[in-house]
Amino acid sequence: QGKSSPDAALPRAELGPSASPRPSPRQLRRVMPNTAMKKKVLLMGKSGSGKTSMRSIIFANYIARDTRRLGATIDVEHSHVRFLGNLVLNLWDCGGQDTFMENYFTSQRDNIFRNVEVLIYVFDVESRELEKDMHYYQSCLEAILQNSPDAKIFCLVHKMDLVQEDQRDLIFKEREEDLRRLSRPLECACFRTSIWDETLYKAWSSIVYQLIPNVQQLEMNLRNFAQIIEADEVLLFERATFLVISHYQCKEQRDVHRFEKISNIIKQFKLSCSKLATSFQSMEVRNSNFAAFIDIFTSNTYVMVVMSDPSIPSAATLINIRNARKHFEKLERVDGPKHRLLMR
Amino acid sequence: MANMDSDSRHLLIPEGDHEINPGPMNIQFDSSDIRSKRPFYIEPTNIVSVNDVIQRVSDHASAMNKRIHYYSRLTAPADRALIAPDHVVPAPEECYVYSPLGSAYKLQCYTEGYGKNTSLVTIFMIWNTMLGTSILSIPWGIKQAGFTTGMCVIMLMGLLTLYCCYRVVKSRSMISSVDTTTWEYPDVCRYYFGSFGQWSSLLFSLVSLIGAMIVYWVLMSNFLFNTGKFIFNFIHHINDTDSIPSTNDSNPVICPSARSGGHPDNSSVIFYASNSELQQFEKWWNKSKTVPFYLIGLLLPLLNFKSPSFFSKFNILGTVSVLYLIFLVTWKAIRLGFHLEFHWFMPTEFFVPEIRFQFPQLTGVLTLAFFIHNCIITLLKNNKNQENNVRDLSIAYMLVTLTYLYIGVLVFASFPSPPLSKDCIEQNFLDNFPSSDILSFIARIFLLFQMMTVYPLLGYLARVQLLGHVFGDVYPSIFHVLIFNLFIVGAGVIMACFYPNIGGIIRYSGAACGLAFVFIYPSLIYIISLHQEDRLTWPKLIFHAFIIILGLANLIVQFFM
Repeated sequence: QGKSSPDAALPRAELGPSASPRPSPRQLRRVMPNTAMKKKVLLMGKSGSGKTSMRSIIFANYIARDTRRLGATIDVEHSHVRFLGNLVLNLWDCGGQDTFMENYFTSQRDNIFRNVEVLIYVFDVESRELEKDMHYYQSCLEAILQNSPDAKIFCLVHKMDLVQEDQRDLIFKEREEDLRRLSRPLECACFRTSIWDETLYKAWSSIVYQLIPNVQQLEMNLRNFAQIIEADEVLLFERATFLVISHYQCKEQRDVHRFEKISNIIKQFKLSCSKLATSFQSMEVRNSNFAAFIDIFTSNTYVMVVMSDPSIPSAATLINIRNARKHFEKLERVDGPKHRLLMR
Repeated sequence: MANMDSDSRHLLIPEGDHEINPGPMNIQFDSSDIRSKRPFYIEPTNIVSVNDVIQRVSDHASAMNKRIHYYSRLTAPADRALIAPDHVVPAPEECYVYSPLGSAYKLQCYTEGYGKNTSLVTIFMIWNTMLGTSILSIPWGIKQAGFTTGMCVIMLMGLLTLYCCYRVVKSRSMISSVDTTTWEYPDVCRYYFGSFGQWSSLLFSLVSLIGAMIVYWVLMSNFLFNTGKFIFNFIHHINDTDSIPSTNDSNPVICPSARSGGHPDNSSVIFYASNSELQQFEKWWNKSKTVPFYLIGLLLPLLNFKSPSFFSKFNILGTVSVLYLIFLVTWKAIRLGFHLEFHWFMPTEFFVPEIRFQFPQLTGVLTLAFFIHNCIITLLKNNKNQENNVRDLSIAYMLVTLTYLYIGVLVFASFPSPPLSKDCIEQNFLDNFPSSDILSFIARIFLLFQMMTVYPLLGYLARVQLLGHVFGDVYPSIFHVLIFNLFIVGAGVIMACFYPNIGGIIRYSGAACGLAFVFIYPSLIYIISLHQEDRLTWPKLIFHAFIIILGLANLIVQFFM
């Protein structure tokens, strides 16, 4: 048995579902000091299905050593990556061989699945134990149904690069059908992903897009903003991951991969900045053909504005962005507590 | 680096993280996974517009590049999780080196400074790549040049091509403004001469490849014919005493071209009119009329393979063949003894003069025999101690020269001259042994198999270079490839039928492709780079201009011989 978090006394017996169906907030806070009011994004899947790499890539973390194999640190607050302002990402190995983990998981089930906003379940497309995977998935769904029935469910069929190109669509369709069937009455959205092409970024962007409640309104406002300042393209990024929340373009752009590329470039730059104990705030790129501005926008978003008219001075665009910032923040606050996602 | 990374983790995860210390903080890791260090290789299909000024990479490749770049910042060097697997980024092992008449094989490419080969391995690889079927023509070349002249020419050509090779190796270091670590010699030519340099180096390397493939076809027909004849005679217990003059002892040597009105093609005529089965065999198994065509069925399918990596596994056959040839020649020399007489200028009935004016034929053959200038940079890149490059190159050249001298001199000297004239030495010295000779039968089998495995490789290299540059795609469609292969095979068949003189083919193609890679480009590039650095002196200019003139003369005089 390894080390554990100083706060957790691991009162397994007490917190089992039979003992006390709903632990009091104070008890909860003792075990999980910081999650009282925070909503969770659960990233679950079999061990080795690629969750850690995925988290690393999307959130630009240094990749963590595989803590499950070391058996030791079992901490509910497994990973404190903040996401969309108020969400906390938790990574869980589901269906591992480790009986210790199994027990802990079962006994902590309610805590784990409480307050869940999003469940992202990762399936390894190469897995040889399809039955088992589906079984674990279903038990997670049961727990969700009990504890957070409003949660959104996403299934990622991962490591698709290992499948032959001509078979990918077929295999994915098969899995999608199975998963939809198994998930009833809950609705799940399926994506096929691989870290070696743009599908991972697209899947997470779609997930984020669905998590933003007023996204249509946001897009409309973004379009107005872009047209007013005569921009070629305006992108809205989520702050932690640089996933594109919404975008507006006034004409066809050549490169379909540009969102992921920009995201990767900026995340890499952020890593470099952090080495110098600084943090990235804004960037302006300019040449004779265009000018691009990347800047903090609202408390949880970044904006990127691309102007192809180089005669417009930077100062003008920056003032425009600053003014728009106020408007968009008001927009977020106006939508009230229901849309707490974009608020601090 | 890991220290700062743990700092960065704190910044990104303010709530604190109970993750374990990430392990060795050693930057100078010895990654057992060399894939973590390989450069991202963009296949030519991804270069969408190629002009001299700007080369644009396709969006897909550029996105992949950025992805790999970014992922490499996320992991520790020893961590394998985010290293691009082989099916995502093509492995750098798709790098082939070849010498036109020697071997061709795949090479492990390391970035500069990570070469793992000891000097011995490098020397062996250079020796192995250079040495090939041109050995078979060296005795004939010595005969054409005269014994003394021949030996001197071999040594001088060795020195000259060594110097030019040294110039090739040093050519990259004279370019200071651009990063040349991944450059091969055609890239250097393109740097100095623009697209003319690129296209001309492509053209000349194609000349060398296609010339080599034609020689291979002729030789393969020859060996297949002799093998078939041996097997047929062996099965039917026929003793092959024909009208071809030969020596009358246990080690027969024949003189195939010395019959009245000798045909240039080596069809052997056997007078066994009574034996109709033999006649049938002779009709269907003819060196210049039928066997070249049988080869088509064997080799044309092999040429259409997309990737010949299967054939590069047989590279060892080349070394075995050469060693066997050395053994064969030694054995025959011991058996036959030496027959040398020195007549300086006048030919006699059995001997040739020591100094003949047909020695340019030998220089033509030697240009191709000492040719490795197209891939020497890649071969030396893998040398562990780069400062020993010149020394290792010189040693390799010396060994090659010695091998050629050994075989050429022994065959020439041991050729039984009292009954036969030295003039009888064939362009392929194995032709001087009858098809019933066991030892040469084994040699022919070895060489036949070796050539059958190198032939598809050479075809692949020629196809990659030509189709890659003309169409931008190394495999545009099966039709393009088929037409290309038919052209090459057709050229081989025509030569095998009408002009199976490998000495002639070797010297023409050797002088032609050597003109560019051996003589003109290295010297010219050296002169230009010296001139750019204002270090050009008159002696250097004259010396290198002389080399260029030698190269031109080498080519021109081939047509007058």
